[in-house]
Amino acid sequence: MIHIQDVTHTFSIGKKGKEKRVPVLKNVSIDINKGEIVSIVGKSGSGKSTLLHVLAGFMKPESGSIKVLNQETAKLSESEHAEFRLNNFGFIFQNFQLMPGLTAFENIELPLKLKGVPKSERRVNVEALIQKVGLSAVADHYPNELSGGQQQRVSIARALVSNPPIILADEPTGSLDSETENEILILIQSLNKSLGITFVIITHDDEVANIAHRKYRLHDGALVNGGALHVV
Amino acid sequence: MSFKDQLDFIRQHLKKNKLRVFMTVLAATMGCAFLIVLASVGFGLHKTLTDEMLDTQLINEVQIYGKEDQSPVTADDQQKMREMENVNAVVSRSYLEGVTSITMDDRTGYGDVQLTNLEEEEKANLALSEGTMPTKPNEIVIGYHFAQNLLTEAEMNAQSDEEVSTGFTTSMIGKEISIELTPLNEENNEPKTWDFVVTGVAKAPSKDWMTDQRVLIDESYRTEFQLFTQPDVPVEESYISVYVYADGLQSVKGITESLKAEGYHVYSVTEEMETMDLFFTVLKAGLLFVGTIAVLISSIGIFNTMTMAVTERTREIGVMKAIGANPKLIQRLFLMESIWIGVIGTAIAVALSYAISYLANWLIPLIVMNIMEEDGMEDMGITISSIPWQLVVIASVISIGVAMVSGWRPARKATKIDVIQALRQEL
Repeated sequence: MIHIQDVTHTFSIGKKGKEKRVPVLKNVSIDINKGEIVSIVGKSGSGKSTLLHVLAGFMKPESGSIKVLNQETAKLSESEHAEFRLNNFGFIFQNFQLMPGLTAFENIELPLKLKGVPKSERRVNVEALIQKVGLSAVADHYPNELSGGQQQRVSIARALVSNPPIILADEPTGSLDSETENEILILIQSLNKSLGITFVIITHDDEVANIAHRKYRLHDGALVNGGALHVV
Repeated sequence: MSFKDQLDFIRQHLKKNKLRVFMTVLAATMGCAFLIVLASVGFGLHKTLTDEMLDTQLINEVQIYGKEDQSPVTADDQQKMREMENVNAVVSRSYLEGVTSITMDDRTGYGDVQLTNLEEEEKANLALSEGTMPTKPNEIVIGYHFAQNLLTEAEMNAQSDEEVSTGFTTSMIGKEISIELTPLNEENNEPKTWDFVVTGVAKAPSKDWMTDQRVLIDESYRTEFQLFTQPDVPVEESYISVYVYADGLQSVKGITESLKAEGYHVYSVTEEMETMDLFFTVLKAGLLFVGTIAVLISSIGIFNTMTMAVTERTREIGVMKAIGANPKLIQRLFLMESIWIGVIGTAIAVALSYAISYLANWLIPLIVMNIMEEDGMEDMGITISSIPWQLVVIASVISIGVAMVSGWRPARKATKIDVIQALRQEL
């Protein structure tokens, strides 16, 4: 489903003219199958977030190939990539990244609005999802009126609402306490099981990484283990 | 994203910064209203002068005041003119010289005695307020105010600066008037009198301040009068004014051009209007240019508002791009926001301008009247400010266009926002 082949990327840092080139991804190759939960772990600066950004199309890799659903995404234009993301990816961010001016309901329906789904259809989909993630009581609350766990549930619902085959999660429990973290991880596992959605989770936390079927470890931009099957 | 959702999205954002948006709309309104009101003065003056010209002159009249080769305009020439396309009538008029008095019973007066072809005058729209057109040579038509000049001796003596006699006030139809002529040569100055019967009275002139004291006599008397008053001047050399009447204003230009091409010296209202239109077109363009500068100044406000909106919403734009919003959609949303400001500002400005224009047309003549201590200015139909729909369209296009241009750069900036940098921004 996702085929990352020899992806290499380098950042230029420092003053103009005196830039220093720092390699952040070194020939990274990963294969992810449909319906899997895959975690990519590593310390800060190991390149795991860069890998997610390259996979999501937020930046283009210096070299290498990224194939998602048989589509070479590294070659897509910005507009094509936006459309590809809208149809195939859902995102869960560490700090939720909700729109402060929109209610929980409106935040969840945003991807459907972008897709041009009619209002009546949107309402049915969002209401069903709100119930599934347990947010019925706070659907008309604004993000600043929600707890961290509730905000992350909104974020998960937003990622799920357009039925994407893949969800990319960047430190999904990084801002949550351990109890809420467990709730969110259980929710991810149940969604994976019930809907067959592929999850790619970026984390520095081994406990979070352990819910994955396979685990990749990055160190200084290079893979240090080959994603051996992990018994959940 | 559907258009309605895009509008909802914009509305939500505008609601967030009500005061800032209000101030920006206010700036756009002031700029556009200034443009409209300033240009409306040019349109108003143009309208006043055009109306004045059309009211005081016969708009379908083409005056012929000679030929390029100095030869007189003959009856044959006039006949050819009558045969031209879109010509209703050709009238030749001459002023009767040597009139010493006009009398009716015990009343004496004065008048503007003209010899003319009354049939052609009728075709040229000589309208009567009373009576009928003459059918016999000794029958005449008089101007609307002619009877006011017919005074008895007692009335003439009683007249003073404060009190003006109203003259003969009952109907003139059927009355006989006598015109006394005196030859212009010094040797023989024995006067002679001709009698005429009034059959028609012309309609009142279009303006209150205009007076019509004509006495229209059939041109068949031309030779007789000429031989009496100026026997030494051949009849064909006497001065005759020829007027060609078109079937409408739209034909005047064509007839004028044709007559010019045939070697006539002509004058028509279109000639004067063309010169005036050119002057006012330049004036209006100048005023629009000055007004546009005000709109450009107000556009700085829109630019600032939109730039701040983009800066403030960097993280939101980043999130939208991350979840799949097309950069073109982001650009469109911000452009629509600046257009919205432009449209609302323009709509308010148009309404405000009409109010200012109405007020100016009412108030300024009053003020001028008070300063000059004169009455009746309001009746003169002076338009200080006029806002035709064309001005509204021009001002709207400029104003909304400028709003679009000033919102374009911030909108482009929004599409260039880096998703990764935006997502790293603190909440």
